[in-house]
Amino acid sequence: MQLAWSAQDEAFRAELATFLDTEAPPEAHGYDFGESRPDEASIIPDWLRAWQAKLFDNGWMIPAYPPELGGRNSTPIQTLIYLEELSKRRIPRATHFPGYAIVAPSLLEFGNDEQKKLVPAAIRGDTIWCIGMSEPNAGSDLAGLQTRAQLFDDHFVVNGQKVWTSYAMIASKCFCYVRTDPSAPKHRGISLLIIDMDTPGIDVRPLRHINGKADFAEVFFTDVEVPRENLVGELNGGWMITQGSLAHERAGLWVDSVSRLEQTVFALVDLAKRTGHDLDPVARRRIAEKYELAASLRALGYKGFASFAQGSSAPEHSYMKMATSEAGKAVFELGMELCGPFAAVTDPELGDENGRWVNMFFMSFANTIAGGSSEIQRNIIAQRILGLPRK
Amino acid sequence: MDFTFTPDQELLRETARAMFAKECPTTLLREHMTDRSAIVPLRKHVREFAGLGTGAASDLCVFLEEMGYVAAPGPFFASAVLAGPLLEAIRHPQLEPVISGEAVATVAIAGNSGEWIPNAETVKYFVLDADLADWIVILESGPSVRVVPRDRVDPVPIRTVDSTRPVFRIDVGDVESESFELSADAWEAWRDRAHTVIAAEMVGTARRLFDMALEYAKERKQFDVPIGSFQAIQHKLADLALALERATAAVQYASMTVDAADADRTRAAHVAKAAAGDAARRCSKDGIQIHGGIGYTWEHDLHLFIRRATASEYLLGPTSWHHDRLADLLFS
Repeated sequence: MQLAWSAQDEAFRAELATFLDTEAPPEAHGYDFGESRPDEASIIPDWLRAWQAKLFDNGWMIPAYPPELGGRNSTPIQTLIYLEELSKRRIPRATHFPGYAIVAPSLLEFGNDEQKKLVPAAIRGDTIWCIGMSEPNAGSDLAGLQTRAQLFDDHFVVNGQKVWTSYAMIASKCFCYVRTDPSAPKHRGISLLIIDMDTPGIDVRPLRHINGKADFAEVFFTDVEVPRENLVGELNGGWMITQGSLAHERAGLWVDSVSRLEQTVFALVDLAKRTGHDLDPVARRRIAEKYELAASLRALGYKGFASFAQGSSAPEHSYMKMATSEAGKAVFELGMELCGPFAAVTDPELGDENGRWVNMFFMSFANTIAGGSSEIQRNIIAQRILGLPRK
Repeated sequence: MDFTFTPDQELLRETARAMFAKECPTTLLREHMTDRSAIVPLRKHVREFAGLGTGAASDLCVFLEEMGYVAAPGPFFASAVLAGPLLEAIRHPQLEPVISGEAVATVAIAGNSGEWIPNAETVKYFVLDADLADWIVILESGPSVRVVPRDRVDPVPIRTVDSTRPVFRIDVGDVESESFELSADAWEAWRDRAHTVIAAEMVGTARRLFDMALEYAKERKQFDVPIGSFQAIQHKLADLALALERATAAVQYASMTVDAADADRTRAAHVAKAAAGDAARRCSKDGIQIHGGIGYTWEHDLHLFIRRATASEYLLGPTSWHHDRLADLLFS
C-alpha cells in the first residue's frame, strides 16, 4: 500500500496537463458537464466537435486505445489519471457518450470487419449514435424488451417503441436491441442491430424532461427494414453484448463522477462565501459532511480501480454508481439551500446563481434512475456481493 | 497509488485474525467486565506486536482493524499507538521499553472540554488504561511533553459504556518533571496518525457488527423464509455495506497519506475518523434493528461491540468535531 504514483504515470499526467492547458478552447474550461447534452433545438456546438476531434487526433480521446483509435496504449492507472485531470478542469471530452463509450468497445469486441470500420468515426465524434435499449415496459427489467425484429432472407423488419433514447433527434445511427426469438427465455431471444436513423418508418418524438429541455426521445419503429449484415454478433446473442466490455473505462467513469462530486463540494464552499454562510456553523458542518462523503468515495473509487488494474475483481464498483448519484443529488440540494429564498428562481435578472443550482438538482434526478436505479443497485449489492437469498 | 495489501500486510492480517479469534472470544470480554486480570494471557500475545506502534501507519491500521473486530481490551492502543510515537518524537529513553512491550505508557491530553488538543489544564480526562500504565505521557500547551511515572499520579476511574477500554481522570498539577518541546509539525503528525489509527480500529468494530447482522439475516426465518430475502432488509444491509466500504477505503487512503507525509494528510485523517464514526453508528443502530428484540438483550454479544463503537466514536473527537475541523480546512 503506497500513495506515490510511478515516474511514468507522473510524466503522463504532466504531458496531459500541458496539452489540456494549452490546447483546450476557452469554452471548454469550466464547462458544465450537465450542459453538454444538446437540447431539442440546438446542434452540438462547433467548438466541442472540433475539440473531440483534436483529442482523438492527438491520442487523448481514449488513452488506452492504440493511436488509430484515438489513444496511446496507456495503462488503466493512466486512464484514471486522464479522467481525473479532465474533471478537475471540468473540461468535456465528447459531444455525446454513447458513440465512444458503448458503441465503439462493443463493435471492437463483437462486430465483424465491416462493422469495425465504423469505430474510429464513433470515437472521433464524426458519427452521432443513440442506444435503443429502454422501452416503456422494459426499464429496470431490461431483458423484458419487446421491440420485434422478424428475419426475412436478407433483412429484418423492425416494429416497436424505444423510450428515453438520448440524442435520438440528432443521431445518424442507432445501436438497437430487438427481440428476434419471442419463444426463447427472455435473455436468450435478443439481438443487436445497427439501424440507420434515416430509414423509412422511424419516427422520433423528443421528450421534454423536468428541466424543460429535450435531450432524449421516444423512437417508434413501423415496418423498418434493416439489412441482415447490420446484425452485430450472433443472432439471439445480444444480451451478452449488453454486459459490456472496456471494463476499465467504465470503472474509471466512477472515479470521474466522484472527482466531479468533489469539485462540486468546493463550489459549495465558494457559494457559501458569496452568500455569507461562511461563518455559519451549521452550513459549514453540512458542507464538511458532503466533503467527507466525496473524499471517502474518491478513496473507494481509487481502491476499486487499483485492484482492477492489478487484475482482481473490484466489488467497490458496485457501490460507486448508487453512491455517487445519490451523493450528487444531496450536494446540489445543499447548494439550493445555501441560495436561500431565491433558490427556485431562474430569472437571470434576479441572480444567475440561483437557477444554476436548481437546474443541477433537477438534472441529478436522472442519475439515480438511468442506467439501473439506486434500488436495483441495492438489490445487486445485497444478492451478488453480500450473498443474501433471492425471494 | 496502490491500495492493495503487500504480502507482508496479508500475513500480518491473517496472523492477527487467527490470534484474536483464539485469544479474544466474547467470553473474555464478559469476564473482563468484572475481572481486569482476565486479559493477562491476551496481553502476552498482543505485546509481540508493540513495535507496530511506531512503524508504518498502513501496517498498524491492518492490525488495529483486527483488534477492533474483537474489541480487544488491553493497553496496546494507549501504549504502542498513542504514547509510542510521542516518546519517539522527543527521543525519550522510555521509547525502547514501550515499543518492545516491556513497559506500558498512556497519554494524557484532553482537559475539561474533552478536546484532544494541547492545553494548559492540569486535570486530564480520557486517560486510557491508566491503571495498567508504567508511564503517563502528558501533552501540554506549547506544545510540550512530560513523561511521569504512573505512581506519581492517582488515576481516578471514569465510568463509561465501554468496559473493554477503561478511562481515567488524573491531576498532573503537582507533578514535577522535565518538559520536552514538541514541534508543531510533530504534534500535527501525531494527531493525524492517531485519528487515522482509531478510525481503523472503529472500522474493525463496525465490520463485526455488520457481519453479525448479515449472518443473522441469512439464518433467521420469518414467514418461513430468511429475513435476508426481504427487500427492506437487503436495502438496509446494502446501505450499511456502502458506509463500511467507504470508511475502509478512507482509512486506507489516510494511512497512506500519513506514511507519505502527504499534503492531504490532515483532511484525509479527519475524513477517515468521520467516515468510521458514521459507519460504526449505522452498524450499531441497524445491526440491532435487523436482530430485532434479541439484539437488545444483555445475553446477546451485540452490545459488547456497540459499546466499544459508541465510546470510540467520542474518543479523539466526535464525528461532528471532525466535520468542524474539516470545515475549517475547507474555508481557510
